[in-house]
Amino acid sequence: MKNNYRRSYAYALSFALFLTYNSPIFSQNQPQKTISGIITSGADPLIGVNVLVKNSARGSISDLEGFYEVVVQSSDTLVFRYLGYKTQEVSVGSLSRSNSGSDIVFNVVMEVDAQALDAVVINAGYYTTTDKERTGSIARVTAAEIDKQPINNPLESLQGRVTGVDVIQNSGTPGGGFKVRIRGQNSLMAGNEPLYIIDGVPYDTQTLGSSNTAGAVLPSAQISPLNAINPESIESIEILKDADATAIYGSRGANGIVLITTKKGREGKTKITVSSNTGIAHINRKAKLLNTEQYLEMRREAFANDGITDYPATAYDVNGTWDMNRYTDWQEELIGGTANTRKLFAQVSGGSSNTQFLLSGQYQEETTVFPDDYNYDRLTVNSNLNHQGKDDRFNLVFTAGYTLEKNRLPQQDFTSDALWLPPNAPSVYDSEGAINWENSTWTNPLARLDSKYSQDSKNLISNMVIIYSIFNNLEAKINAGYGFSELSAITATPHTIYNPGYGLDSGASTLITSEGNRTYWISEPQIRWQKNLGVHSLDIILGTTFQEHNYDQDSSIGIGFPNNNFLDNMSAATTRTILEETKTTYKYHSIFGRINYGYRNTLFMNATGRRDGSSRFGANNKYGNFGALGAAWIFTKGKDLSWFSFGKLRASYGLTGNDQIGDYQYLDTYILQDYPYDGNIGLAPARLYNPNFQWEKIIKREAALELQFLENKIALSVAYYNNRSTNQLVNYALPGTTGFTSIQANLNAQVENSGFEFELYGTILKNDNFSWNGSFNLSVPKNKLLAFPGLEDSSYANRYIIGEPLSIAKLYNLEGVNPETGIFEFTDFNGDGTISSEGDRQFVADLSPKFFGGLSNTLTYRNWSLNLLFQFVKKNGYNQYRFTQPPGMMLNQYESVLDRWQQPGDQATMQRYTTGDNYEAYLAYSRFTQSSGVISDASFVRLRSMEVAYNLIINEKKGTSCRLVLQGLNLLTFTNFEGGDPDQIKGFIPPLRRFTLGLQLDI
Amino acid sequence: MKNIIHHSLNYKLPLLICLLLLSGCEDFLEAEDPLGQVNSAEVFKDETTATAAVTTLYGKLRDEVLLTGKSEGLSALMGVYSDELIYYGFGGDPMDNFYQHLVLPDDMIVENLWNGSYSLIYMTNAILEGLAVSPDLDPEIKKQLRGETLFVRSLVYFYLAELFGAIPYPTGTDYEVNRSLAKQPVSIIYGNIIADLTEAQGLLGTSYISGERVRANKMVVTALLSRIYLYMEQWDLAVLQSTILIDNPNFILEPDVEEAFLKESSSAILQFKPRAEGDNAQEAQTFLFSFGPPPLVSLNSQLVENMEPNDLRREYWIGEITDGNETWYSPKKYKLKENTGTSMEYSVIFRLSEQYLIRAEALARLGNLPAAKEDLDMVRNRAGLLDSEANTQNEVLTAIQMERYHELFSEFGHRWFDIKRTGLANEILAPLKAGWKPTDVLLPIPENELLMNPSLKPQNPGY
Repeated sequence: MKNNYRRSYAYALSFALFLTYNSPIFSQNQPQKTISGIITSGADPLIGVNVLVKNSARGSISDLEGFYEVVVQSSDTLVFRYLGYKTQEVSVGSLSRSNSGSDIVFNVVMEVDAQALDAVVINAGYYTTTDKERTGSIARVTAAEIDKQPINNPLESLQGRVTGVDVIQNSGTPGGGFKVRIRGQNSLMAGNEPLYIIDGVPYDTQTLGSSNTAGAVLPSAQISPLNAINPESIESIEILKDADATAIYGSRGANGIVLITTKKGREGKTKITVSSNTGIAHINRKAKLLNTEQYLEMRREAFANDGITDYPATAYDVNGTWDMNRYTDWQEELIGGTANTRKLFAQVSGGSSNTQFLLSGQYQEETTVFPDDYNYDRLTVNSNLNHQGKDDRFNLVFTAGYTLEKNRLPQQDFTSDALWLPPNAPSVYDSEGAINWENSTWTNPLARLDSKYSQDSKNLISNMVIIYSIFNNLEAKINAGYGFSELSAITATPHTIYNPGYGLDSGASTLITSEGNRTYWISEPQIRWQKNLGVHSLDIILGTTFQEHNYDQDSSIGIGFPNNNFLDNMSAATTRTILEETKTTYKYHSIFGRINYGYRNTLFMNATGRRDGSSRFGANNKYGNFGALGAAWIFTKGKDLSWFSFGKLRASYGLTGNDQIGDYQYLDTYILQDYPYDGNIGLAPARLYNPNFQWEKIIKREAALELQFLENKIALSVAYYNNRSTNQLVNYALPGTTGFTSIQANLNAQVENSGFEFELYGTILKNDNFSWNGSFNLSVPKNKLLAFPGLEDSSYANRYIIGEPLSIAKLYNLEGVNPETGIFEFTDFNGDGTISSEGDRQFVADLSPKFFGGLSNTLTYRNWSLNLLFQFVKKNGYNQYRFTQPPGMMLNQYESVLDRWQQPGDQATMQRYTTGDNYEAYLAYSRFTQSSGVISDASFVRLRSMEVAYNLIINEKKGTSCRLVLQGLNLLTFTNFEGGDPDQIKGFIPPLRRFTLGLQLDI
Repeated sequence: MKNIIHHSLNYKLPLLICLLLLSGCEDFLEAEDPLGQVNSAEVFKDETTATAAVTTLYGKLRDEVLLTGKSEGLSALMGVYSDELIYYGFGGDPMDNFYQHLVLPDDMIVENLWNGSYSLIYMTNAILEGLAVSPDLDPEIKKQLRGETLFVRSLVYFYLAELFGAIPYPTGTDYEVNRSLAKQPVSIIYGNIIADLTEAQGLLGTSYISGERVRANKMVVTALLSRIYLYMEQWDLAVLQSTILIDNPNFILEPDVEEAFLKESSSAILQFKPRAEGDNAQEAQTFLFSFGPPPLVSLNSQLVENMEPNDLRREYWIGEITDGNETWYSPKKYKLKENTGTSMEYSVIFRLSEQYLIRAEALARLGNLPAAKEDLDMVRNRAGLLDSEANTQNEVLTAIQMERYHELFSEFGHRWFDIKRTGLANEILAPLKAGWKPTDVLLPIPENELLMNPSLKPQNPGY
């Protein structure tokens, strides 16, 4: 945000000057001349070039044709300045000599600045920097890149684009959540979420959803609050990773920072952009399941294996109750639908040199792949107003975004039904079109369509930045923000979803409601002092933060309704019970500072620090100190190597913290509990009292090399980082004799995240009509538990191993199917002759990615452009067998179970089929689902997104243009993985494949 | 001129602003008490909250652990563990392991019993500490609450010691101490219990503080104390304490057995008040069933068949359900499953019959057989039975044990604790249960406890 504000500040400055250039104050004695001309890049006119009169407050700016005009005196010097180009200075005197008249025509050709890195202004949160000067690790995704993908949530734009950032979408159902890890998991038990800052305001991304209502349709009821941010309203997303960049965020910087900056209004003609997109989406990979013939064969073989010749009465699939010739592709029936997406977007922006504005609105609608009409609607409005005082001292930026979301979903995801329903299960509707219960022989999944999940949310984020320049080199600034998020949801479950055989009536209908609210504000007064002293430059910021978050979450259940028409009215319920009632306050106060020193534009040193106070910690530990040092050295400065255009070495070291442990954990309190007695409320100690726990601490180290060759046509950067988190905040397990089973405490466990990050960018081809740019990124992370005192005796003994990553699973080691018995066998690690959970789960499976990255190519030919983004991940994952029951039971299976043991001597990958009656086989299968047999290579290469666009310039002078785009997401996935989509959470819809067609008009 | 001002300000102003910025407000971070939470010190400054902290102990016992009428409570658990109840739930689930005597150290029920009990102990210790330092509370209220808390602590330790044998005995709330405590022998535990109960007798009055018989008073404490002396085989003291209750005119063995478990029962010494008005004792939901096979448990038919033909308890306290072929019996002391608008049945924790039987047993042990028989016959007569025909000391003692079986079934595991303390468990259960081992008289110490606190070793024998 500050980045933009800085930029608009610069604009503001020049435009303010422009406005005053013809005011009488400046009409002094000297003869005046008018200089005018066209500014070009050699070929095209350049719009918006600043034309300033040196050492004065006068100036102008070039218009749409590149034309400028400025009134000067003969002693003046003109300065032409434009981002990405070399600044030019011309004295009016020298022009006068060649032009005798009072009016001078002077055309300017601006030269591209070879050091174009200067041009990219990077938002570092409390300050801005440039790519050239930055000392920290900051990655950036711009609007241009975000707009290339048909996405709903800004986090999706990071997948495959940014090194060190691992983003996994929880579910393809609209409105769900994401798991985001920046440089790995630092904390054993406290949160590992990055800190999100939207236009300077910290944005809490803890879900407001409640598992009471949303749990069965959205994994863990995770509803990303970032769904409220329209990706089209974003100017850039910056990801701060190392200590240098994150230490200024102190206790919240441990897991990295994601800065989201929204688009701002700019000076100039009022611009209108209108766009419309429509598209379709569906699941990208179907599981390969047994067909009816294969399924029935499996069932019959299982009965035969178990020695059962009379099929039980409840084996409807094989005993003749159900039609054995029937086949339903349940995936097609339940999750095979096509979701429709539609987006409408309009934006108006423009303004004078003093005041600029932007207003945009987006409406979006998306249906689901489930049967029946479910849909997600979103309406977002974004506004921005900037104002600069005439005396250049005052500057104001205001932004506000408001979002309304409605989500109507089934109460439960249908994915698992689609996988296990027998392929010859009855038809979902009977001949009259009613739900078919087939004489109560099955639970018809479509009966659940009567139950619904319905969610409404509202979201406001607003922010104001006011800057006042007290002197040339000193400015005071205040950043203030306010916002709220409200989410209310219900799940209504009428009795009609149950088998009528139970004889239920609306007395069994239930309604669950949940409501989550969050309000927050922040105020950050700051001062900044800048000075250039010859070869030295100094930039100092000092500031303080006051911040408060209030959160409440309520949930109730009502059971029994007079009839289902009243199912939406909690007041009509026969019994009502409060499931949850929570209210918390989180306050935060700190002081921060930054000192940046530059020497000859060659050496840069950056020191940042923060003293943080958080209400989450007890009196003795409320405050913590964090800080970092960063340095960068441009070693190519002053050297003249034609092919080697830029080289920089940078390094940083520092300390950040983590306070994501929930509120009030240090308090010695009694808490209201549901044990009313004899007219008294229930009141019991809330927890074991530990006032002494402290911040989790993370020491981050990084070194990086950035190189550019051949006039910056090729850029390469390599970074190595090593982060160690200590003082881990855990719920430390205690014996029951203490009255509780755990206590919030610091454990001297150490977790290390280290790794390499590579980025390569190249302009592969460029000529007048054709250009080809490519970029490649690769992250090789490594996570390791270095120390954990008392691990063996702790309740974590079965979860972690010292020297291994945190994301391991301890499993049985599958040795294969015994050719004689046809039953799975496992390694008896402790050699006690039996397979037991305590002694034999010694196979260690690492489920974290070994490496991941992306490859992006952009080709343009005249008005056409093509962008392809490939994403790749190398990792292991749980395959199709995780959470399954033995093949042979009345559940469908993956095709892979066909390679099974049938008779003694068989070598097979799957054990003998069983109906569950063979206890030994049943037990072995249950171990199999917790063994190395359910771990598979889940690596994949995915065509993450593709965009084909055609730009039509209708009127070059007026800037009218039209853009036609065809976009796709998750188009192709290359993998050997058989358990559905490699990123899919079991039992939930995987990320969808999308196609959209859009038209954008700029007037 | 202007420049000069600028210059001098140039250095002072930034300094001033810095100072302004850095003078942070420490108060800002003081978060108010969260919703539904009260600072521990505040709890004991106010009579209402201090009382709530104490009554929550009864609420937890009623709803969650040890004395709850739900299937997690001792009535059901130790019922299936002994020869009282037959278990009909799923094979292989934790309660079935209790029934079949296949309990392992990692048993979930055992862990819940242990953790739930020690959670209560922690609560009582926290209350005792809170009351001790509270400056504002009325001294009379303090005495009442301290007395009640000591009673609950004793009650929980009594059950812990009976279930697990030697156990750790936390007396404070410091987790650094409590996490590494060693076991104390049962004799020490009982010594502590007697000290606590004796103190509580001094602190509490004889009337019930809230009118109904739902909170401990001196009489309730006495009822537990007489039971403790019985278990400790201090017969004379058991006689002394039970006599206090038997002689108290407030407690009368109502003539009609049907009334024993009603809210107004005059033989009730301590009852648990249900959660809400109109609710009734939870035992009804756990034990009653209207068609077979039973969803959870039934009474062992031996118990029923053992009863004398005209025993009124057979008629009024036992349900009989048949499907034509098979017959099942349900414990029917509590009959109301539903909300009745006004509560009618309260779960009875201590009642006068037990005191008569305690005194009878103690007197018989002391050799005073006529007096013992007199007490025994009080209970028998009320059940519509004639005086006992037992003559010798052994016969009287056996008759008393049988009477306890018939009188106290499905109440908090009385049968189990009786056959355990009288050394009959092996003789009675070995023929009934294939999984029975003599070491089953004690439950195992939960495995997790031993892992986290090695000073608890060794594990109880047999596990």
